[in-house]
Amino acid sequence: MAIADQTLHELVSLERGEVDRSIYSDPDIYEQEMKEIFGRSWLFLCHETQIPKRGDFVEAPMGRDNVLVVRQRDGSIKALLNTCAHRGNAVCRADEGNAKNFMCTYHGWTYDIAGNLVGVPGQKELYHDELDMSAHGLRGVAQLDTYKGFVFATSDPSAPPLAEFLGRTGRAGLDMIACQGDMEVIPGVQKFVIPCNWKFAVDNLFDWYHPQITHLSAMSLDMFANQAMPESKRVDIDGVATQEGAQLRLPGGPAGGDNVDELVFVDIFGHALAGPTRDTYVGVTGSDSWRDSEQAREALGPVARRAAGHTNIFPTLWINPAGGQISLRVPRGPFETEIWWYSFVPREAPPEHRALVLAMANHVFGPAGLLEQEDGENWNQSTMTTTGLASRRIPHVLKMNLGRGKVVNDVDSMDPPYIECGINEHGQLWTYAAWAQWMSGCSWDELRERTIPPAVL
Amino acid sequence: MTVDTSTRAEAALLADALRQFEVERFYTKEAALLDAHDYEQWVQLFSDDTHYFMPIRRTRLRRELDKEFTQPGEMAYFDESKEFLLTRVAKITSGLAWAEDPPSRTRHIITNVRVVEDRGDELEVHSNFLLYRTRLKSEETTWIGSRRDLLRRTEGSFLIARRHILLEQTLLLSQNLSNFF
Repeated sequence: MAIADQTLHELVSLERGEVDRSIYSDPDIYEQEMKEIFGRSWLFLCHETQIPKRGDFVEAPMGRDNVLVVRQRDGSIKALLNTCAHRGNAVCRADEGNAKNFMCTYHGWTYDIAGNLVGVPGQKELYHDELDMSAHGLRGVAQLDTYKGFVFATSDPSAPPLAEFLGRTGRAGLDMIACQGDMEVIPGVQKFVIPCNWKFAVDNLFDWYHPQITHLSAMSLDMFANQAMPESKRVDIDGVATQEGAQLRLPGGPAGGDNVDELVFVDIFGHALAGPTRDTYVGVTGSDSWRDSEQAREALGPVARRAAGHTNIFPTLWINPAGGQISLRVPRGPFETEIWWYSFVPREAPPEHRALVLAMANHVFGPAGLLEQEDGENWNQSTMTTTGLASRRIPHVLKMNLGRGKVVNDVDSMDPPYIECGINEHGQLWTYAAWAQWMSGCSWDELRERTIPPAVL
Repeated sequence: MTVDTSTRAEAALLADALRQFEVERFYTKEAALLDAHDYEQWVQLFSDDTHYFMPIRRTRLRRELDKEFTQPGEMAYFDESKEFLLTRVAKITSGLAWAEDPPSRTRHIITNVRVVEDRGDELEVHSNFLLYRTRLKSEETTWIGSRRDLLRRTEGSFLIARRHILLEQTLLLSQNLSNFF
């Protein structure tokens, strides 16, 4: 049952900075998300370097569909629905690998790597050569395209071209990885399940308010010492105390007061970025010299080259340039989200740099990550409280810097529409505002028009 | 002659049994330290040059099973030097690590202990484990897998000079890995 526009409007308030908590657990909302968001949006499938050779494939999720992303004989890439044209069985049960063809293990229908049906047991004897094999190939996605090696697809034939969908913010986010060198995915995608709604996982990627508390145990370690906020820039935490009454001592960032520069991008289709500038944050590898390269100057405007925060390509692709990592949030139900981490390294990186990138990728995020260990339980508890009759009547609050964010939107600039301010909640709130527009099922033109940011947020 | 042979065989069997006892006693003690949350003592069981590694596992076809696990130098869930293990212990014992506060309730069951190679000063030992965890009201996780250890003899006991942990999961069916294996 479609949820009426009026109701959707009431679920997210840009003016009050409030979101109705029911959106995290209402099964009707989840169904509509599968249709209106994951059934229409361009979705990240993989990076080209994961499938370098002919016949290389990975399986990737698109809503509730699974697709096989396959390198073709001519070097191009196809994404095929992993469902046999006969009885629907999956034609491939491996997560990744190399294939000469895909044979369904039910009756043996066999497809080549382009998805053409090339073998049917008994085509002559049982089907009397009357089965039109050309009509029963594996179905492809509606559209597939790549941007700088990142492979995306959409199930909507009427979706705008990928580069247009990404807009200035989406392209800048991907360029912040692509500009770090001749980038390749390090083998091994970390995959784990958090019992939470996918929107809590997305909300959190813009959140530079939580690390100082959620990740306090990690921030206290020598390993993160280079991220410590100078005493003069720390936020006042008077009144923040543990259950036994002990005042917390903050070792440092990344969080600071209004005197700390933060950059936010808010853009069409709900793409956004939030976080510190390179002046206060370079990340744990300790270098962001790639931002001054010729390649970066060509791909990114002066504002984007300063932005060291996190991008979300709506709906669920998180880009973390400081770690050279991207993370996909895969919804598996209102209460279940898979987290998939992809880590990149420049091919030309000397061994010691490669080792540093790997060490940071393996130690900061991921299920055992010194930071990410703590996140799951917060999102799980936040999700589950929205099922409480009284608890879900309390709004989800995003009021930080509300009404103070002046949006600079120079349409002739390659830089995205941006806000400069201190720590804020604009990125999250903008994501929810766009979410409500997507959920209304409006046309692509209307969606683009309605997700042009206002002058003030 | 027959008496000699059977005596020698018995002596070898007895040596095997003693070694098996030593190894299993060591693992039992290690498991007890973990389940008592005594991580400072536990980390001392590792040599300074240790490598504690849990690779990522992928579902692959039988003909590509050699590519099932990632290798050192690739992505992993744990890829720890002694220094990183000490860092993890510092985090978990800081009193500020919310993923383990309230602490998880854990039980480490170590079985099927096999010494697969004995080089005198170092032993290659394979074992199976079951790590059962509950948290808060109803969160329950079970991890089953195998450990491939290199145990180095030292002062009547062992140091773990290498531990590779192979989980029987591809997609990790838990929200984090805030415990040790």
